[in-house]
Amino acid sequence: MPQDPAPDAALVGLEETPHTGEAIAEDGTLVEPQADDFGHAEQATSDPEWFKRAVFYEVLVRAFSDSNGDGTGDLRGLADKLDYLQWLGVDCLWLPPFYASPLRDGGYDISDFRAVLPEFGTVEDFVHLLEEAHKRDIRVITDLVLNHTSDAHPWFQQSRNDPDGPYGDYYVWGDDDQRYADARIIFVDTETSNWTYDPVRGQFYWHRFFSHQPDLNFENEEVQEAMLDVLRFWLDLGIDGFRLDAVPYLFEEEGTNCENLPRTHEYLRKCRETVDREYPGRILLAEANQWPSDVVEYFGDPKVGGDECHMAFHFPLMPRIFMAVRRESRFPISEILAQTPEIPSGTQWGIFLRNHDELTLEMVTDDERDYMYREYASDPRMKANIGIRRRLAPLLDNDRNQLELFTAMLLSLPGSPVLYYGDEIGMGDNIWLGDRDAVRTPMQWSPDRNAGFSRSDPGRIYLPPIMDPTYGYEAINVEAQQSNAMSLLNWTRRMIEVRKQHNAFAEGEFVDLGGSNPSVLAYKRVWERPDGEHDVVLCVNNLSRFPQPVELDLSEHLGFTPVELTGSVRFPRIGELPYLLTLPGHGFYWFQLSELGDEGERRSQA
Amino acid sequence: MSGPVETNEAVASRDEMIDSLAAALPEWLPTQRWFGGKDREITAVRPVSWTTLLDGDPLLIHLVVEVEQGDRTEPYQLLIGSRQSQVPDVAATASIGLENGLTCYEASGDADLTACLLELIIAGEPVDELRFEREPDVELTAGLRAHPITSEQSNTSLVYGNQYILKLFRKLTPGLNKDLMLHRALRDVDCQHIADPLGSISGELHGEELTIGMLQRFMPDAADGWVMATTSVRDFMADPSGLPPEELGGDFAGEAYRLGKAVATVHADLATALGTELADAAELQRTVAAMTERLDRVTAELPSLADHGPGLRAAFGKVAEIREPVSMQYVHGDLHLGQVLRTINGWLLLDFEGEPAATLAERSALRSPLRDVAGMLRSFDYAAQQLLVGQPEDPDRTARAMQWARRNRAAFCDGYAHVAEHDPRDSADLLRALELDKAVYEVSYEHANRPDWLTVPLASIDRIMTEGE
Repeated sequence: MPQDPAPDAALVGLEETPHTGEAIAEDGTLVEPQADDFGHAEQATSDPEWFKRAVFYEVLVRAFSDSNGDGTGDLRGLADKLDYLQWLGVDCLWLPPFYASPLRDGGYDISDFRAVLPEFGTVEDFVHLLEEAHKRDIRVITDLVLNHTSDAHPWFQQSRNDPDGPYGDYYVWGDDDQRYADARIIFVDTETSNWTYDPVRGQFYWHRFFSHQPDLNFENEEVQEAMLDVLRFWLDLGIDGFRLDAVPYLFEEEGTNCENLPRTHEYLRKCRETVDREYPGRILLAEANQWPSDVVEYFGDPKVGGDECHMAFHFPLMPRIFMAVRRESRFPISEILAQTPEIPSGTQWGIFLRNHDELTLEMVTDDERDYMYREYASDPRMKANIGIRRRLAPLLDNDRNQLELFTAMLLSLPGSPVLYYGDEIGMGDNIWLGDRDAVRTPMQWSPDRNAGFSRSDPGRIYLPPIMDPTYGYEAINVEAQQSNAMSLLNWTRRMIEVRKQHNAFAEGEFVDLGGSNPSVLAYKRVWERPDGEHDVVLCVNNLSRFPQPVELDLSEHLGFTPVELTGSVRFPRIGELPYLLTLPGHGFYWFQLSELGDEGERRSQA
Repeated sequence: MSGPVETNEAVASRDEMIDSLAAALPEWLPTQRWFGGKDREITAVRPVSWTTLLDGDPLLIHLVVEVEQGDRTEPYQLLIGSRQSQVPDVAATASIGLENGLTCYEASGDADLTACLLELIIAGEPVDELRFEREPDVELTAGLRAHPITSEQSNTSLVYGNQYILKLFRKLTPGLNKDLMLHRALRDVDCQHIADPLGSISGELHGEELTIGMLQRFMPDAADGWVMATTSVRDFMADPSGLPPEELGGDFAGEAYRLGKAVATVHADLATALGTELADAAELQRTVAAMTERLDRVTAELPSLADHGPGLRAAFGKVAEIREPVSMQYVHGDLHLGQVLRTINGWLLLDFEGEPAATLAERSALRSPLRDVAGMLRSFDYAAQQLLVGQPEDPDRTARAMQWARRNRAAFCDGYAHVAEHDPRDSADLLRALELDKAVYEVSYEHANRPDWLTVPLASIDRIMTEGE
């Protein structure tokens, strides 16, 4: 009879570093690295609601900066670029998974929750990054997949090899593939069933995503505890929070679609309790690609200000922004925001224009999906699964006016904005790269070799930098744009700065002003300051490529003066009649509504 | 004459003021956009009733006058304001200079004064013969100020704090107002495509009931259909690619489809609320006669229409030959893109008064729902062609406009058919006759008011007669 393989046999490249399953304790449990084995980072400044005001920046470790010249970005390289991110105004980095992984699903197939993917560095390198980030008042959150592991994870290896051992019940096993028939198959392109037969154990295992990603069995209390311990491991090291990947799927129940089940919420409350009690000020962000009315469930009980996740992504808003500008009509945006329920007082949406995945089309109706395809993906290569993989600049034909309009909306619509690395300089994509790599090319730092991203031989770079004449790194790079006062980069930095000067952008109530011109989206953000005064910001966006007039009903602010926020220019005082503004094509305004005294003394609205 | 209980002296001076106001009105009325009698000289303006709504300074009086223009006498309502201590913040065109030096003004633009109309509706108390009423179970927010809507043609509407809109009917028609009646009927069947009626102001004229105003929910998020459609046309015409409308970002067909569904739903709701009946042969004959009579009248004004006379007459005549049952019911009566609102919850229909020029009997008649469909189809034609008006003829642009019109007319009918379960295009003869009748009306209207636009209905008639669509 062949010897059972070692539990860590499927882990690659971790021989020299602490990892899960390097030894087995007498009771059969796997020895796992502990946070105390490593140094801890100092915490960022104390501010329990920082996430409501933060500007997030999604950065792929692999793509940002290579510190050791091996052609792949790494944690030390990212730490080296923190000055740039601080200069830009970033408050929090969101890192997609950097854990040990066979990388069959972009790192979301985690094979050891307590080890770093060797090409990115080590746990020590991560602590270094945290330490340096916190010094600059930048926080760091990362993705954590609760729902499943890679099949290379030592837990799964133990589970399949030793059904009666401590890990035998860590996954959802069945003698047949008939249970939970009502659950949809998410990756329809590659999977035919949510069950896969494992010849080693002689049973089927359940997986909502790829068949190499078995779902953890949350019915098992030990799994629940083990995952809490994973949270604690990183929180002990100093991390500021997690984006919880694929949360709707934790539990299964016969006769349901196995999404958003009450017990899933119960477990999230348990995670939240643990964070609040042991690590106050750290956050949980739900990744639930659902309609806003369903997603609000993940914030938890509004009576206590929310007792599940602190944040959730607003998925449908993003395609609607694109649609609205293409249709030159505010209704796609107005509608989705009107359908968005209020969220508990202690929570915040995360909103984005682009991220490392495709332009997500799950949240649009069939009609709209066809439309989005037509408009934004003339080349079939640009379509993947049911999304569109393009960066912001090429999606907008590199039109500076539209880039500014979109960014201005991202920074002023309700929610904390999430920027995608490289979009601040208008980076392009490479649609000829496979899978989702089109939008994951190296950050373009300078016109030097490898775009300044790496000192390695160009042949070793994990993906070639963009080199076309429009978006190539010789034309588009941080160095050139930093030295050009009118660059997109400097403009973006300035807008982030303005946003931060007015908390109404972050926490103000959103009031859609409507108006008779459907091509103009106008809204107020009204924030009641702690001293009871109001900070009112007015945002007016021309979604049309043509100049537009708009009459706004601002009679509630009779006698106030709109002061334009980027140049402090005073506009005519608001009178009894509708307030007339004209905007250039794709133009926008940000105003503060101020009560100005006779001597021009500026006060806020009483 | 009516008024609050006052001292003889006050009554006398108020009477005096009303009389001198009446004397100034013949000159002032034709300068007002909503005044419908601009075609004839005013021979006399007689105050019929007046009610003091706010006394003292400022002063607000509700006044009903009869405007006599030869053998035609029509009642109009006015809100008259007067201030002694302060100049009102209203447009110069609103002021009415009196002989005795006192200045009065049309007060619908004076937010200090119009606020009381909402308060009176909330209180639900009559003032003299004016009745201010809330609809059943309606709660209203007090203390809102109003501003008038500037785009309106024949009435004056005041928007209160972005929550309510009070429509003051300018030309008054004795009897229960059709707009109010249909809104109530639709509200009672829970129609989703109207702005809910919230209250009303009514009075009496020569012993007959008179609707003076209707309060409705206001939709601050809304944009009207005409603006929505012309936005799409504008983008389509400006696009250099030459691609068909369905390939371009500004495509309106999705909206047109949903609009078709909304109109069909309102028709179904009206049928549920107020019933339907089948048109008999006599009704169809009457319809043909009315269409032909209008054609004759317009042709007399505008001989260029005569070329199409025989064809039009034949198209109208076909209505009398329809053998399948024609269902008649209450309809909107004057439906076009300017009468629909796109809100974030979908399309709403407004203004169920019917054609402003029609008599009450005509407006109240049972009509085929296809009349509304025809009105909307005409409106798509107008929207498509509005950028061609006053421009040198350009066959390419004309063809492009027609491309847009064809796509959106079809999408509207598709949406309508989806809900109504019968396709309006299947009733081709009736729909065609109704559309042509409407176009003939437009010819007359444009001839009188906007000669530049005459090409739009004429081109449509030409197209329908030659291409049959």
